Amino acid sequence: MMSDYIVEMKHITKRFPGIVANDDVSIGIKKGEIFALLGENGAGKSTLMSILCGMYEPDEGEIYIRGEKVQISSPNHAANLNIGMVHQHFKLVEDYTITENIILGVEPISKFAGLFPYVGIRNANRKIEELSKNFGLEVDPTKRIADLTVSMQQRVEILKVLYREAEILIFDEPTAVLTPQEIDFLLGIIEGLRNSGKTIILITHKLEEIKKVADRCAVLNKGKLIDVLDVKTTSTNLMAQLMIGREVSFESEKAPAQFKEEVLKVEQLTVKNEDGFEVVKDVSFTIRSGEIFAIAGVADNGQVEIADAIAGLVKASGGNIFLNGQDITNDSIRNRTESGISYVPEDRQRFGLFLDFDVATNLASKQYYKEPFSNKGILNKQEFDQFGSQLIDKYDIRSGQGIKTQVRSMSGGNQQKAIIAREIELQSPLMIFVQPTRGVDIGAIENIHKMIIEQRDQGKAILLVSLELDEIMNVADTIGVIYNGQFQKIASSESLTTNEVGEYMMGAKHE
Amino acid sequence: MDTIIIDGLSFALPLFIMAIGGIYSEKSGITNLALEGFQGFGAFIGAMSAVLIANASGAAIEDMFYVALLFAMIGGMGFSIIHAVLSIKFKANQVISGVVINILALALTTFLTTQINALVFGAASDKFRLGVSERFTIDGLANIPVIGAVFTNVYPFQVIIIVIAIFAWYVLYKTKFGLRLRASGENPQSVDAAGVSVSKIRFSAVLISGLLSGLAGMCFAYSISAQFSSGIYMGYGFLAIAALIFGNWRILPTLGACLLFGFAKSGGMFIAQSMALPSSFTDLFMILPYVVTLLLLIFFSKSNRAPRALGEIYDKGKR
Repeated sequence: MMSDYIVEMKHITKRFPGIVANDDVSIGIKKGEIFALLGENGAGKSTLMSILCGMYEPDEGEIYIRGEKVQISSPNHAANLNIGMVHQHFKLVEDYTITENIILGVEPISKFAGLFPYVGIRNANRKIEELSKNFGLEVDPTKRIADLTVSMQQRVEILKVLYREAEILIFDEPTAVLTPQEIDFLLGIIEGLRNSGKTIILITHKLEEIKKVADRCAVLNKGKLIDVLDVKTTSTNLMAQLMIGREVSFESEKAPAQFKEEVLKVEQLTVKNEDGFEVVKDVSFTIRSGEIFAIAGVADNGQVEIADAIAGLVKASGGNIFLNGQDITNDSIRNRTESGISYVPEDRQRFGLFLDFDVATNLASKQYYKEPFSNKGILNKQEFDQFGSQLIDKYDIRSGQGIKTQVRSMSGGNQQKAIIAREIELQSPLMIFVQPTRGVDIGAIENIHKMIIEQRDQGKAILLVSLELDEIMNVADTIGVIYNGQFQKIASSESLTTNEVGEYMMGAKHE
Repeated sequence: MDTIIIDGLSFALPLFIMAIGGIYSEKSGITNLALEGFQGFGAFIGAMSAVLIANASGAAIEDMFYVALLFAMIGGMGFSIIHAVLSIKFKANQVISGVVINILALALTTFLTTQINALVFGAASDKFRLGVSERFTIDGLANIPVIGAVFTNVYPFQVIIIVIAIFAWYVLYKTKFGLRLRASGENPQSVDAAGVSVSKIRFSAVLISGLLSGLAGMCFAYSISAQFSSGIYMGYGFLAIAALIFGNWRILPTLGACLLFGFAKSGGMFIAQSMALPSSFTDLFMILPYVVTLLLLIFFSKSNRAPRALGEIYDKGKR
C-alpha cells in the first residue's frame, strides 16, 4: 500500500542512560500539513526530532521519507533529504553577516582570474535577498547578526533552512523568545510556508499556538505517544489533559488583592551597564504589602537591572530605594537580605545555587552564618540536615537521595522549588522573583504560581519580572510595562488587556 | 638608520609569519602558547637535515637554506600534531598543553642535538652551525633615500614570507575554509549545525600554525643566530603571540606590531653599539621589545576582542 505520508517514523525507541526518551513512538506526517508535537519538558519531543535530523540514531524503529526507508546518519544526510531544523537556541556567528551565516557549510564558489577560488558573497547576497522576499522574511543580507533583534535572528535561522532547499521544516519551540506581535507574525510565516507546499513540524508546549495554526497534533508524555489529534475538533483543555496526564487550571485562582502599607519605594532609579550606558532611566514605583507588582517587557529592556539594583547585585547610579521607609540604596547585599529582601534570580544555576553542593547546604545558604546553623563560626551540620529535611517535605522538593542530593543532578523545576523554598523561609517582607518559571514544565509552573500568590496573601510585597506575558496577566495585581529602561505604563492588571500590554512592550503606545 | 631598518625587517618578518600561524590557530578557537616550541622544534629539524645532508653530499651548509626551510616547516607541523591531538581529540586544557610543549621542545632538541653531534661528527657540541643565508640588494630601488634600506641586504626568506602572508590573508578571508575557520572560533555550534566538522578545521589550523612557526624558526636560525642551539628559545614565540593580540587577531595590524617589535630590537642594538658599550650591556638593550610589549599592554588590552570561543573545548553533545 502506498502511503500518503512524507515522513513516517515507526516504533521509534531511544534510550539514554537511566531513561527511555522515546518509547515505541510511531507517527506519520502528511505532505503540506502543519504537524504539532505537544508535550512537557522531557516528554521526548526534541529527542524524536533530533532523530529525524540525524543527530541521534534510534535504538529501535524505522524511518521512511517519501515512502523510502532511510537511515539518517548525520545532519548533512538529513539536509540531503530536504529536512531542516530551525533550532531553539540559534546557531549563529554574531560577528558574521546574515549572508555569511546562511551560506556557512554550503558556500557558493566563484573563481578569481579563473584560478583562485573564493566565496561568492555578492551573488549569495542577491540570492538571499530574493529568497527572503519570496517568503515574506525581508532581511538585509549584509547586516551583522550582532546588530539584529532576536526575531530577526530567527528569520536568519529560517532562511538558513530554506537556502538549503528544505521541504520538511522542523521548528523547535520557535516562539519561546518572541513577543505576542512577533509570535503572530511568525505563525503567519509558518502558515505561508505550508501554503507554498512545505511540510512543517512544530515542537511546542503552547496550546494556543497549536490551536491557531496546526492541522494535526501528536501528544507525547514521558516518552510515549499518547494520541494523535485533529486540532480543529479537539479542545485545548483535552490537549492539556493528555499532555500532563491530569487536569490543570490555566487561570491561577486568586482572591482579590488586599493592599496594605507600602513596603518598597523606588525613586528615580537609574542604573548603568558596564559600558556606562543607562539601561534603567529615572524609574519610580512602589509596592505595597499584599501586592504582586509585575514588570512586563521584552528581554533586555532594563527589567532585570531594576530587580538586581533592589537586591544589590548592581549599583544604582542615581535615585533611591526605600524598604519599609529605610533608605537601602547603598547597603550591602547581606544587609538588604537582613532588612528583608528575598531574591529568586533569573539564572538559577549561576546565581541561585551551588550546583555541586547538596540540597541541605543550598537550602541553608542564606542563613548559615546565624544561630542555630552556626555557633561562633563553627557550622552545625545537624541543623543543616534537619532544616533541609523539613523544607524538602514542606515544599515537595523531589531529589534522588534526599538532603544529600547534589543539586546539579536535580531537574530544573525542583532546583527552582529549592530556591523558592529557601527564599520564602527567610520570611522577608519583600520578595523578588525574576523569571521564576523559566525552563520549568507546566505542572511546576502551576505550583510556583500558587506559591507566589500564597506569599502575597500572607502580606508580602512581591516584585515579579517575567518575559512570559501569560504569566504576568495571570498572577499580577499591578503591571508596569517597561520599554527601553522606562515604564511606558503602570496600571492594575484588570484594566489592561494582553494586547495592550504587548503594544506597550514594543514601545508602540505612548501616553 | 639603514641598519635599523634592515635588521628590524629581517627580525620582524619571521615574527610576523609566526604570528599569522598563531592567528590561524586562535581564530579557529584553539589557544596557542606553543608557537615558541613549534618554531624551535621546526628549526631543529631543519638545521639537523641541513647539517646531515651537507655532510653526506659535501655541499656548503649555507647553500642548504631552502632544504632546511622545507624540513623546518615539516618539522614544525609534525610537532604541532601534539598540541592538536591533546587539545582537540583529548580535550586537554590548551594553556597547559602549550606550556608543556614549549618545555618539551627545549629539552628534546637540546638533548637530540648533542646526541646527533656526538654520533655523526664525534664532537660533543650542543649546536648545529649554519652560517648566514646569502642576501641580495635590488640596485635601483636601494638608492632611494630611507626607503631604499628596505631593498638593501634582503634575505630571500623575507620575500617568501611576504608571499606566504598574502596567501594566508587570502585563504583566511576569501575562501570557504577561512570562513569556516573563523566561524569555529566564534561559535563552533553553528559550524557543526552547518554540517562541517569543527575538529577537522581546528586540527588543520593548528598544523598550519606549526608549519608557519617552523618556517619562522628556521629564518631566525639562518639569520640572527647563524646556528641552531637552545639559544633559539629566546621567547620569540611569545612575542609573536603578543603581536597577534595587539593586532587584534587581524593580519595587517599584526604586521604593524611585528614591525614595531623589530625596530625596537634593531634600534636597541644600534644604540648599544653606537655607544660602544661592553657586550653585557647589549644584552640589556635586547630586552627592549619586551619592554615595548609591557607598555603596549596598557593601551591595547581594553579595546581588543578575542575570538569568542577561544580556548573553549568544543563538546558536540553540549547544548
